Formats: sequence, C-alpha cells, structure tokens
Amino acid sequence: MAYALVALGFVLALNAAGAVNFAHGDLVVLGGAVAVAAGQSTGLAAPLLLPLVALTLGAAGIVAARVAILPLVARPPEATFVATIALAAIIEHGLTVGLGAAPRTAPALTGSGSFDIAGVALGRQPLAIVVVGSVLVAGVWFLLERTQTGRRMRAVSSDRHMARAVGIPVGRYIMLSLALAGALAGIAGFLLGHQFLVAPTQGAGHMLKAYIAVALGGWGSVPGALLGALGIGFFETFVSAGFGDAWASAALYVGVLVVLAFRPQGLFGEPVGRRA
Amino acid sequence: MRPLGAFWLAALLALPIFALAVLPPFGQRMVTLVGIYALMGLGYQLVFGQLGALNLAQGALFGVGAYTAALAAPMLGALALPVAILAAAIPAAVVAGPILRLQSHYFALATLALASIVNLVAVHAESLTGGANGISGFVSSLPRGPVLLAMVWICLIAGVLIYAQLFRGRLGDEARLLREAPLMAATLGIDGGRWRLAGFVVGAALAGLAGAFSAAISGVVSPDVTGFSVMVLCLTSVVIGGSRHPMGAVVGALLAVCLPEMLRDFQDAWLLVYAVATLAIVRWAPGGLAEWIDRLSGARSPVPHKPVVPERLLPATGAQRLVLDNVVKRFGGVDALAGVSFAVGRGEIVGLIGPNGSGKTTLLNVIGGLDHVDGGAITLDDTHLEHLPPHVIARKGLGRTFQTLMLEGDTRSADLARAVSTGAAFLLLDEPAAGATDRERGQLTSLLRRLRDAGRGVVIVDHDIELLTRVCDRLVCLDRGKVIAIGGPAEVRADPRVRASFLGLVEAAA
Repeated sequence: MAYALVALGFVLALNAAGAVNFAHGDLVVLGGAVAVAAGQSTGLAAPLLLPLVALTLGAAGIVAARVAILPLVARPPEATFVATIALAAIIEHGLTVGLGAAPRTAPALTGSGSFDIAGVALGRQPLAIVVVGSVLVAGVWFLLERTQTGRRMRAVSSDRHMARAVGIPVGRYIMLSLALAGALAGIAGFLLGHQFLVAPTQGAGHMLKAYIAVALGGWGSVPGALLGALGIGFFETFVSAGFGDAWASAALYVGVLVVLAFRPQGLFGEPVGRRA
Repeated sequence: MRPLGAFWLAALLALPIFALAVLPPFGQRMVTLVGIYALMGLGYQLVFGQLGALNLAQGALFGVGAYTAALAAPMLGALALPVAILAAAIPAAVVAGPILRLQSHYFALATLALASIVNLVAVHAESLTGGANGISGFVSSLPRGPVLLAMVWICLIAGVLIYAQLFRGRLGDEARLLREAPLMAATLGIDGGRWRLAGFVVGAALAGLAGAFSAAISGVVSPDVTGFSVMVLCLTSVVIGGSRHPMGAVVGALLAVCLPEMLRDFQDAWLLVYAVATLAIVRWAPGGLAEWIDRLSGARSPVPHKPVVPERLLPATGAQRLVLDNVVKRFGGVDALAGVSFAVGRGEIVGLIGPNGSGKTTLLNVIGGLDHVDGGAITLDDTHLEHLPPHVIARKGLGRTFQTLMLEGDTRSADLARAVSTGAAFLLLDEPAAGATDRERGQLTSLLRRLRDAGRGVVIVDHDIELLTRVCDRLVCLDRGKVIAIGGPAEVRADPRVRASFLGLVEAAA
C-alpha cells in the first residue's frame, strides 16, 4: 500500500511536469527522515506527526517544482531528468551530511498489538498503513475527478498550452501537483520508515519501483500506477518468499526489459499523438 | 561545432606531461583518475550529449569493464583491456536493438533496469564476483604509476581529438537534427537507428575501457563500481563540463576528482556541492563549463549558415514516376485516406487541395513513410515504398518540407532549401506559402518553375489556390480522404463538387 502512495505521487508529478521526477524517491526518504527527526525532537504522537510530515514534504515538493521543474518546462524532458537527478543527489547527500548514513527507525503509527479478526491475526501497524493509504488514495481520486481544482490539474497535465489558453495559471497548478506529490511521498516515507528503516541511499530504489509501476500500468494513468504498484508489491512478496530477494528483484527488472522490448509503448500503451 | 582550439589542445597535453614530470605519485594517481572518468564521460557524451538520450547504464558498463579486467588480468595481462572493452560493448550491442527504439522516458527506465541487473549480479553471484566484498589482490593489467597514466591519457587524447574532428562537420549536423527534429532527419535520409546503435556501442566500449583502467589503478573491484552513484557522478560531471563540448568530459572529470580533495574535511559535502552545481548548470548554462570558458576566452560560436537554394539547379537523376494506387490510411475508425490514386511524373507540379481534414498532410506523411499505409501501393518506378522506413525512402529520391518548423531559429525557406539540396527527384511540400509575404510567394513561384525546369517532380499542398493555379500542371482535390477531382487547374476549379466542398468556402470568405 505504501508503494501505491509512492507511485501515486510519482504519477501526479509526472503528469504535471511532463517529465520523470527522479527526486521522487528521495522525497520519500526525506519524509521518513522528517518523521524521525520530528518524532525525536517534539515527542508528538504519531498521528499528529503525520500531517506535520505531509505539510513539510508538500513544501519540499513546491521547492522541487521551483528549482528543477518550472524553469525547464520549455526545454526537452532530458533537462528535467538531469535537474531532478541532481536534486535527488542533493537530498541524499544533504541527509547524509545532516543525519549521518546510518539507518534509523521512524515512529510507529499505532501500538504494536494485533487485532484478531475471524481467527486471523492482523498487525495493527500494517492495518493502519492500509487504512491511511486507502483514505489518501480515495481522497486524491475525489480531488482529481470531482472538484474544479482537480479538473484544472488534469487539464494542465493533458495539454499545457491549451490549459494556458483557457486561462488556467499553469505554473501554479504544476506547483500544486508537486506539493500533493511531495505530501504523498512524505507520508509514504513515514509509513515505510517504521517497517524498513530510513537510510539516505534508499531513494533510488523507491524511485525505480514507482517508475516501473507507472511504466507497466500505463504511462500517466493514475489507476494504472496504483495497479502497477500493488502488482509489484505482491510479486515481490511472493517471489521473494519462494526464491529470495535478489531473484525477486532480478525477475522484476528482466520483466521490465522484456515488456519494453515487445511493447515499446508500455503494457497498456499510451496515447501517442504526433503532428508532422 | 568548432574544432578544438589551441588553448584546449595545450591544456590536454600539458596536464599529463606536467603530472609525469613534476607531480609526486599521489598527484599522478589523481591525474590518472581524471583521465579514467573523462574516458567514461567521453563515451557518455555520444549518447547523452549528441543524441539527447538519457542513458542510465553507463555506470554499470563501467563496472562490467572493471570486473572483466579484474578477472582476466591474471591470465591475460595487458590483453585484459581489449577484453574488458568487448565485455561492455557486446552486451550493449545485444540490448541496443529493442531499447534504442524506446521513447525518452522508457529508454531511461530500460537502461536503469539493465544497470540494476548488473548491480544485482555483482552483489549476488559470489563465485564469480566475490559478492559484496568484491575482488582484490588480483594482478594488475598494467603496472601502476607512470605507465598507467600514460596509457590512460594516450587513449583519452586520441578519443577527444577523434571526437572533435568527427563532430565538427557533417556528423555534428546529423546529430543535431536527430536530437532536435528526428522526423526531419529521417526525411533527409539520415538513418537514426544505425547512428544511435553506433553511439551507444562506442560509448559502452569507452565505459568498459575506463572501468578496466580503474580496476588497474585501485587493485580492488567491489559492487560499488556498478552502483547508481558512479552513474550519477558520470552524468553530473558531463553536464557540468559540457555535454557536447569535446573537452566537456575532461573538465567535468577534473572537477569531480579535485573537489573531494579540496573539501576533504567535509566528507560527503563535495557530492552535495557537485549536485548543486549540476542543477545550476542545467538551469543557467546548459552548454556546460567548457563552453563557458570558450566564451570567456572570446571564442565565438560558429554562426550556423542558412541553407539557400542555388540559382541553377542540377537536373535530378533517378526514378521517373511516383505512382499512388488506391492508398488507404485509417486512424481508429476514420478513413483518413479512402483509396487515393494518382501519378506524378518528373518535371510535373501537382497541387493538392481540399478542405481542412481532407487528408492532404496525411497523404504526404504516408508517401514519405512517416505514417504506415493500411492498403494500396505507392511506387517509385518499380520500387514499392509502402513498408520502407522514412530515411530509406528519402535516399530513393523523395524530399519533403513540413508545416511546422522543427528546428529552433529555422525559417520556411531554409526548410525548403534543405529539401531541394538533397537532390531528390521528387519533392513533397507541405504549405510552403503559409504565412508568406507577397515577395516570398513570388520567390516560391519562381523556385517551383526552376524545379520543373530541372526535371524534378513536385507535390505541393497549399491553401493559396491562386498560386497553385499559376504554377501547377494539375490539381488534385481531396475531400474526406477521397479524390473528388483531378485535372488541369481551370478544369478542377470549375468542377461543381470542388466548388461545393472547398472553393465555395474560400471564395465566400474572400
């Protein structure tokens, strides 16, 4: 479920910026790090930390948009790729310098007990992650599909020039999308941070998973990204249970190469338009 | 691109000579490292700088070179270097086929997945790679110290000179076209696929060589050399130095090696500084530091010369007749072309008219191979064009211009001149008079007549019906993908169906 949040933020940023945000994985790590630091310094309860992390990372998303995405909208996507890779490196090394390279644990969302539902023991923490994740996904869906703001965000993603022509302040909506993406990344980082610890070098891994999820699920499609992320999650869980982590990852990457070799438009294709 | 100036040449030669003559072993080691990173960066410039494709596997290929050298050196000695080159270049050539066709974001993903696989193998195939500990204590392929430094820099200097020489001329122009206007490149007969393959494989070979050198200098190879951080270092140093400048990789590598020494007290902070610098360069100086130094030292960028159509056109050779037979093209459920047939001979100008959306541009795209045909035949004499890629069609003698300008700072007349100067026997012109002044229309008219006199065949799409009437031998009127009238200009303009579907609108508006 946390993968789904990562992928959701990734696809929002992707659609808004028109290019891959390679810093997204590091925003996730940053979210975990903020949760660690805030948890230690304020001693707030985890449910109160959640909005704090979301707000901080939303702001970080806006900063990312301002320094690495908005100034480059008129250039080929490769310029944004490089700028966001640089931004990712800045976050990674900034965290290493600031917090040290050792992994840390983010505070748990709930106590460590477990519920007993129909004879199946469910950990409270995984359950809380699923609940928070589902609520957020539903919230984003509602925002995009049912509100004027969401309609405008989608307009900006599908055709930036047309959106500007009908009077939508495109820059502001790109920043809004990136803020939302950052907030989702932050929460995902918080949730993942308790289970898998927080270390500055994890960013590339998170980014790669989201990238794969989006490529497999259909480039730019929000539900596709969610499905892709859940698929990757299940795949990893089952294959690594059977054959070990390394084989699971290797199979995933080989799978991606095979899919791209035979379906250069991604598994479900993408709308391709070209004007001569 | 300009040739390498005396300043750069002197710098390139002076650094290794200075290092060999003056510097202590530690300094020599640093200069050798600069050479190694610069070699990897030089290879990276081919794909990333010249073709604008974000390749994220260069670091992994560097690692492949390093491991190969570590494993092969005890048996082969210095011969391990060419083996390492092959070990990186051969897999690159194998995967190149499918992944080079991908669009930018999928290309980046595919190369990233490839790099991750290499990294996994390095970590987990313990019997071969020594696992997480790597391999150490192997016999070096070359004696460390001055010999290694000299070898690295000889390779680098040769590479930089060849690169500068190659890209100052036609190859540089081709790369720019492929990068900025791939469709136009194809219609000018440039084979983008072959070009990308060559760039990718040569780039991989250089990465492999650099990796082999790095194994020789450090004496240790661990999975770190295949990791993403090597890739990021390569990318950032090429961006900072200049992604296309012949000296860009060298300047970037020099900084990447010297910065950590200068900021030694701050541990990882140099990487932070480096990343911030990359961001600043992307934003404010996309040409990189090398180009910036060029500008400071007063060297001017060469002004790209505007192509001009020569006064006297040489008579074209080649195919005699372009024939369309029942050509069909569908977009989804819509028949954009529903069985179009006509022929154009040499020395004939055919005007294509019809309301918006009647299929005029689609027809030009289909003839030129930019869109695939769903039915019917297009032949140039006896050669079928239906299933040929655009660059092959262009080389068979078919040139074209575009409605939308594809290169920055380009003009319509430049686009036209470029198409004419390919010497194509047949030309497809898409709205060459759109937005033109009266004077430019006059020039276009005279150019079209000269083309006819030189025995070229022309298909021209335009909304200026008066201009077409003056110069065309025949007009073809399309409506909803079908030919509704064909013949002399006066005849077609008098046709009642043409008047109803198209001219009626124009004349009512005028």
